[in-house]
Amino acid sequence: MVNATKGLFISCDVPMAQFIINMNASLPASQKFIIHILDDTHMFVQPHVAEMIRSGISDFRKQNSYEKPT
Amino acid sequence: MGYGDKGRPNKRLKASAKFENIGEDVYFGEEADDDHRDGEGRQEKQDFSKLELKPDHSNRPLWACGDGRIFLETFSPLYKQAYDFLIAIAEPVCRPESMHEYNLTPHSLYAAVSVGLETETIISVLNKLSKTKLPQEMRDFIEKSTANYGKVKLVLKKNRYLVESPFPEVLNKLLRDEVIGRARITSEGANGRDGFTVSKVIGDIGGGGGHDELLNEAELAAAAEEKETHSFEIDPSQVENVKQRCLPNALNYPMLEEYDFRNDTVNPDLDMELKPQAQPRPYQEKSLSKMFGNGRARSGIIVLPCGAGKSLVGVSAASRIKKSCLCLATNAVSVDQWAFQFKLWSTIRDEQICRFTSDSKERFRGNAGVVVTTYNMVAFGGKRSEESEKIIEEIRNREWGLLLMDEVHVVPAHMFRKVISITKSHCKLGLTATLVREDERITDLNFLIGPKLYEANWLDLVKGGFIANVQCAEVWCPMTKEFFAEYLKKENSKKKQALYVMNPNKFRACEFLIRFHEQQRGDKIIVFADNLFALTEYAMKLRKPMIYGATSHVERTKILQAFKTSRDVNTVFLSKVGDNSIDIPEANVIIQISSHAGSRRQEAQRLGRILRAKGRLQDRMAGGKEEYNAFFYSLVSTDTQEMYYSTKRQQFLIDQGYSFKVITSLPPSDTGADLSYHRLEDQLALLGKVLSAGDDAVGLEQLEEDADDIALHKARYSMKSMSAMSGANGMVYMEYSTGHKGQMKSKPKDPTKRHHLFKKRFG
Repeated sequence: MVNATKGLFISCDVPMAQFIINMNASLPASQKFIIHILDDTHMFVQPHVAEMIRSGISDFRKQNSYEKPT
Repeated sequence: MGYGDKGRPNKRLKASAKFENIGEDVYFGEEADDDHRDGEGRQEKQDFSKLELKPDHSNRPLWACGDGRIFLETFSPLYKQAYDFLIAIAEPVCRPESMHEYNLTPHSLYAAVSVGLETETIISVLNKLSKTKLPQEMRDFIEKSTANYGKVKLVLKKNRYLVESPFPEVLNKLLRDEVIGRARITSEGANGRDGFTVSKVIGDIGGGGGHDELLNEAELAAAAEEKETHSFEIDPSQVENVKQRCLPNALNYPMLEEYDFRNDTVNPDLDMELKPQAQPRPYQEKSLSKMFGNGRARSGIIVLPCGAGKSLVGVSAASRIKKSCLCLATNAVSVDQWAFQFKLWSTIRDEQICRFTSDSKERFRGNAGVVVTTYNMVAFGGKRSEESEKIIEEIRNREWGLLLMDEVHVVPAHMFRKVISITKSHCKLGLTATLVREDERITDLNFLIGPKLYEANWLDLVKGGFIANVQCAEVWCPMTKEFFAEYLKKENSKKKQALYVMNPNKFRACEFLIRFHEQQRGDKIIVFADNLFALTEYAMKLRKPMIYGATSHVERTKILQAFKTSRDVNTVFLSKVGDNSIDIPEANVIIQISSHAGSRRQEAQRLGRILRAKGRLQDRMAGGKEEYNAFFYSLVSTDTQEMYYSTKRQQFLIDQGYSFKVITSLPPSDTGADLSYHRLEDQLALLGKVLSAGDDAVGLEQLEEDADDIALHKARYSMKSMSAMSGANGMVYMEYSTGHKGQMKSKPKDPTKRHHLFKKRFG
């Protein structure tokens, strides 16, 4: 019997995949969003989390970049 | 993320093209806080189209703006003269290749007055050089800031500190100040109306000199006449407080300190001359002429990049003053180097120079000489041995002609205070390469030592072939999957640094670079790591010698000697101890694998290790054989905090006009297999090692001379996620170190194996 699940296919680099996995792991069981980790750079997640992942990553990147105060 | 264009000047100009209503409160505030110079969040654009352009503007080199900013076109034919003038009156902010930015501040104007420039001269020359009519705000500002300058002088006469001024009313005003009033010592033999001592001196002749025809008229105007001066004596222990009260942000009568050494008959002369082969370079001459502009010696700071010959400037100053000289360095190694430099450049006799460190306690014979010691030895508060107590007593009682201070930017202010209160000197000369500190204590130097007398432009020195042309590169190393997973875990927050430093991709990039430069180019390489865990891991794995805080003086000397002379030792690993003062002229490649958070000063100091020019002059000049002859690599793990620090660290060098190239694919994919940590099992074993090491062991090395931490702590609080940077203190490392000491002694140091070139050199 074939099951179909609607989801989002994410393709990213190795560290960001780890970042998303870590994000997923820090959430309580009911909110986990990763459906399947396909390989190091691809995964399949719940369709509604795109925005959350984007903002999570952009916050993370902001922390790691220095802007010269003017 | 825009890393690619970091070094471009236009970015900077855009950011600073917003001025307006910057009131005096900003000017008189903490201008040392250069990161927030024009206040945060000021967004309005400024329109300068109203400024009146002079008809022959294209012949004039600079733009002066009402808020004190000055922009200089370096391609102008008048650049050299304009640069010399601007560096005397304004603070350089950013100096890329074609456009420099300067800022007028009360301190910089104070420095200008103290090298002999007068208010009218400053305004008229600025007006001559400016493309537009000088804005009225700027005129007012210069007049207001300089009105009181140069009216008060601090003089040391026969071991007494005197405040001198031709205007008794100014002295009265000063004495009404509580601090100064209390510091006054009333002597009995005082005469004159207000109880001031009155004496006659010959007025200054001429200005700072060296500004060519631009200043001629003004110099004539400042012709000499005999003046009456009034003075009162102050308590030597209060000198610093008095000076501080007189600065622009308090009473605004900044004191000039000058030493008329030629007419000093009280202190015995020291017989020393520069040797004929010591040929000061043009910029060294210029910095000395600022110091000795009117035949007297002024106190102040000279800023020259590392490797540009600071020691020759120091030795020349000492041999011009020809009095006893106390030379302070940061550690025992540089004490040896200074003593060597004195003997190398001057005719001083061996018995006239002595070193005073915990290992060697020499004393000079005769009544004048040079003492080289460390800040720590002089400022040390605890109990000393009888022998050193005697020497210190001698240092304390002597009246020094020159106090020569090396690397003034590293020494904490309280230690300076102590040193300066203990030693009595007529003239203080501070030398440094980087006048930046993360804790903004740079302003303290203004009253502790004196104004900045000269600052060289790095790019001009590179063009002239006086320092090496360095290719700076930031190597981006992606984190491996396993390391990044651990990096993200909350429970590893204290190990973040160890994880991104030990990133196997970084290790491989480092190994690749070492191999490439050792084998392909025959270079000498220094690898810097602040993190001791990483330092030992890297050095052991690659089988290279290393030096860190706990390495003994003897062993350091041995390793450095081997590095300099042996063909088999081409790479040395250094911890923070190598940042300052370890002189390794042979090295021309630096690989930085970990660093002290966002310290701009450390970055510049490290670069300085390879700035000493190498090779033949004609090869180095533009169009010569080698475009770059030195390399500075900073290895950064991407997606980690290191990216933040790395960008911040580069700011100082970018302001000096350097640009960083980003390299993303190192090691190249075809050379992967023969480097370490190629296999996943090895990487996992390394990860295990990092994770099982104690939190203390993976932290930063702490040295006693670190006083720059304050601002870094601050940054940590505001960022909240940087607890990883908290280190342990030195004790832990000393224990940790004992196991590896024997290993390094086995490195070959046989003098017969020296390269024939070095054999010649070392006899």
